[in-house]
Amino acid sequence: MNGRHDISGQAHSLTVLTAIRDGHESALARYLNALQGGTASPLATVARTHFARWVVVGDVVYEGKGTRDHLKLGQLLFTSNFDGKDLDSYLESLRTGLGSAADEIWGHCCGYPGSDDAAAFAAYMHKHHVESSLFFGAYGTRTVEDVISSLALRRNLIAFALNSQGMAPAALQAAFQRTFSQ
Amino acid sequence: MRLVNVGPMDYAHGVANIEGKATAITVLTPVRRGGTILLWIVFWAGRNLTFTLKKLQILSFIHYARWTVIRRFPDGENGDGQQLDHPYLFFESNFNGTWDQYIDAFSEVVALRMKAIWGTSIGFPGPLPVEAFKQYIRRNEYVADHYWSAYPGHTTTEIISAARVETAVAEFKKRSAKLDPDAFQAAYVSFLGKVQRDL
Repeated sequence: MNGRHDISGQAHSLTVLTAIRDGHESALARYLNALQGGTASPLATVARTHFARWVVVGDVVYEGKGTRDHLKLGQLLFTSNFDGKDLDSYLESLRTGLGSAADEIWGHCCGYPGSDDAAAFAAYMHKHHVESSLFFGAYGTRTVEDVISSLALRRNLIAFALNSQGMAPAALQAAFQRTFSQ
Repeated sequence: MRLVNVGPMDYAHGVANIEGKATAITVLTPVRRGGTILLWIVFWAGRNLTFTLKKLQILSFIHYARWTVIRRFPDGENGDGQQLDHPYLFFESNFNGTWDQYIDAFSEVVALRMKAIWGTSIGFPGPLPVEAFKQYIRRNEYVADHYWSAYPGHTTTEIISAARVETAVAEFKKRSAKLDPDAFQAAYVSFLGKVQRDL
C-alpha cells in the first residue's frame, strides 16, 4: 500500500521509524557514522533514490512547558525520496541494494526479520512506515536518471558552445548534429 | 564524540548533514494538544492549494521536503506503540546552501507559512526575529548519522535549468534538422541566446 500523501509528481517520500533495541543506540550510531559517503555509501546501490538518510533519535526534546515526554526506546529514522509510485518495488530495491548493510543497520532494531526473506522485510518496512502529511519536490516529475542525463546534456552544451566559437556554418552544423545525435 | 542524537544538536558532528552541495535538516517538535487539527488544515491547504507551495519553488534551493505528524512511536512491542503526551511534528528537508541561509530565507520569505506550520509547536517563537527561530530549530534538530544524495555536486537551480536545457535542445534539434548551414548558424545563435540563462 502506498501513502496517499507520499507522492509529488512521480517522486515518492518514504519515512520509516523503528524502535532501537535497548542498549544498541551507540553501536548503531557508530556503524552509521562510519559508513563511507558518495559512491561508496550502501545507498549508492539502491536504484531510484534521490536523497536518503538515517538518523538515530535518542529521545525527544523537552521545550520546558507542559509534561515532559520520554521515549521508551531510541528510534531509528530512515527517510528516502525516490522515483515511482510503487513502494513495494522500491522496498525490494532497498533490500537488494543495501545487501548486508540492511541487516547491520536494522538488526539493531526491535522485531527486524532480516533481509533474507523479501516478504518479511517489506512487511517490516510497511509496518513502520509513517505517511507524509505534506511532501514537496522541486522537480518531482524528474527521475534520478532524468536529472543526471539532463545535467550531462547541459554540461555538453556549455562545452560545445565554448568549443564551437568561430566555426564555419557547415562545420558547426555537422559538429552539433554529431554531439547531440542522441 | 556524539553518538546518539538527543538534542540539542552537536554542531561538531554536523558534517554528517552535508553531502556535496546538499544539506539535510531533520526536526521534531512537540505539538500542543489540539494542534493537530490546525495542522491537518494547513497540510490540506498545502496539498490542494498550489499557491501555498509556490513560494518554496521560488526559493529554488529546496530539492525535497516533507512534514508529518507522529502520534505514536514504536516501542518494540507488538501493540500500537508508545503514545507520548504530545504528538510530534516531523520536518525534513534536502537543500543546497548553508543552514543559516536556509533558515534566513524561510523566516523572511515564507514567514506566514512557517507560522502556520510551527505555530502549534510548543516553544515556537515565531519566524522573526530570525535568531530566536534559529535557536528553536537548533534545539529540536537531529543530525543525520548517514546522509546520501544521488547528485551531490548540483544545486536545485542547476537541476531545474538542466531540465529546461533538455527541452530547448530537443526543440532546436527538431526545428533545425532541415536547415541549410547558413540558416542553421543563425538559428543556433538565436537558440544559444535563449538558453544561455540556464547554462
